[in-house]
Amino acid sequence: MGEQGSEQSPRKGIANLPGVASFEQASQGKGAGFDYRPVALMPDVKVLKIGGQSLLDRGRKALFPVLDEIAAAKDKHKLLVCCGGGTRARHIYSVASDLELPTGVLAALGGYVPRQNARMLQMLLAKHGGIFMLHDDFEKLPLYFRLGCIPIMTGMPPFGYWEKPAENSRIPQNRTDAGVFLSAEVLGAKRAIFVKDEDGLYDDDPKKNKNAKLIPRITAKELLALDLPDLIVERVVIEYLQRARFCTELQIINGLTPGMLTRALEGEDVGTIISKA
Amino acid sequence: MSKLVSDDGRTHITSSLMRESLVDRKVIAKTNSAEEFSIMPDVTLVSIGGQSIFDRGKAAVLPLVTELAAIRESRKYKMVIGVGGGARVRHTIAIALDLGLPTGGVAQLVGAMEEANAVFLNALMAKHGSIVMQREHFWELPLYLESGMLPIVISTPPYHFWEPPPVEDSPLPTHGSDFGLFIHAEVLGMKRIIFVKDEDGLYDKDPKKHSDARLIKKTTLGRLQAEMPEELILDPLLFKSWQNARHVERIQIVNGLRPGELTRALAGEDVGTVIMKEKIDG
Repeated sequence: MGEQGSEQSPRKGIANLPGVASFEQASQGKGAGFDYRPVALMPDVKVLKIGGQSLLDRGRKALFPVLDEIAAAKDKHKLLVCCGGGTRARHIYSVASDLELPTGVLAALGGYVPRQNARMLQMLLAKHGGIFMLHDDFEKLPLYFRLGCIPIMTGMPPFGYWEKPAENSRIPQNRTDAGVFLSAEVLGAKRAIFVKDEDGLYDDDPKKNKNAKLIPRITAKELLALDLPDLIVERVVIEYLQRARFCTELQIINGLTPGMLTRALEGEDVGTIISKA
Repeated sequence: MSKLVSDDGRTHITSSLMRESLVDRKVIAKTNSAEEFSIMPDVTLVSIGGQSIFDRGKAAVLPLVTELAAIRESRKYKMVIGVGGGARVRHTIAIALDLGLPTGGVAQLVGAMEEANAVFLNALMAKHGSIVMQREHFWELPLYLESGMLPIVISTPPYHFWEPPPVEDSPLPTHGSDFGLFIHAEVLGMKRIIFVKDEDGLYDKDPKKHSDARLIKKTTLGRLQAEMPEELILDPLLFKSWQNARHVERIQIVNGLRPGELTRALAGEDVGTVIMKEKIDG
């Protein structure tokens, strides 16, 4: 046994401070009587995602009106703009999965595209204070907002090579929707806004089925119960939403309809709201 | 050849995923296949425990440094070393949660304590050719290994502020160092991981609390999951992730307080606990 060694060189722990929950209590949560009262870091930030395939790949015609709305809203709201990937990401995933590369490599490779897109938006929004930021700059958000800037970043979370292999797919499960949701959650924002090219969530793909019906409001549980073969947001986001402490609503709006983003930023329930409960 | 197509207002690149939803189960299933490319299959990942080894100080760490130096001198194995954080990680978490920091905020903090242990080990092993591999130097791993160096990697995965909300009632981040090292090995196509701890291996219950705890010498992932011990020496998320994994075949847990045990494990001996992933056909 390792007993001898243990006696000669005991583990050096750190004593618990009086009045502060121990690691054991904290890790067992409420069951151990631990009163966790989470602090919302920047609850007034509006986290929004500009779709890759849905908006950026449409070019100027679709994007410029959305950027105009962002520029007009930036002095009223603190906006954190995140970018999706789009067709170049699909090309990367297609080539990489053909080469049978692992999911973590796909996630790292897929990360390049939304970063490019964020840089494009930064160039276009530079005159309004657009600032490109990396994940490592996240703690500088208060500075950017204080200066009246529009921080722009990739929607992809930083998991990269550490993305978990999925069941029955090589595509990383956490992509730009997940990153946007998780950004809103850690900031303590109530809603994450997804700007896409459809009016919201439908009961079928509106691009393929003209009779598809818009769902204005649905809970995560109801949505999962529908067991749709396709969804408008990444599946993990619906899972996370059910466990969220702050970001309890996803709003999906149509960026091709003028004024929609402005209304969403004002807190109007336009598009589809998917809620925690 | 890939072409550009813009017939629906969007500009696409032709590919098997063009215009497709990456959420559609049928679409993404097409990206799956039985085989997967192994990037660095002949490398072993060796994890040195934070609480179990580092927190014991000199008496536990120095013999292990001597052993690692001798292993490296033999040039028989390519290995990457990972280190855990230990007591300082637990302290960080206790304080951060008491302050009410969100789970993502806690996840952003803990990696620093593990990185500190990587620097500790590097200070002791630098003359034996060790180097701390920063995350952004991920693809320099072949350079280090080809030149006979001993890379020390940071075990906490970079989930940081973006740590998903935890499944359990507890606000603790889910993706810790055991998981981080496991994924590190898996994505590079490594076949085995050796965890160096302060116990002889995996027991059916915590041997520090129960004198009748029984050592599990050899088992499979399937058998372990059928009767998972309540108190585990490794993070349960590691075993869950191992199910969908394709490369890691063998995880071994050895006692780092017994000199020579790591060397024997690297030589392929069944010391400590050996857990095999049963090869699933197809």
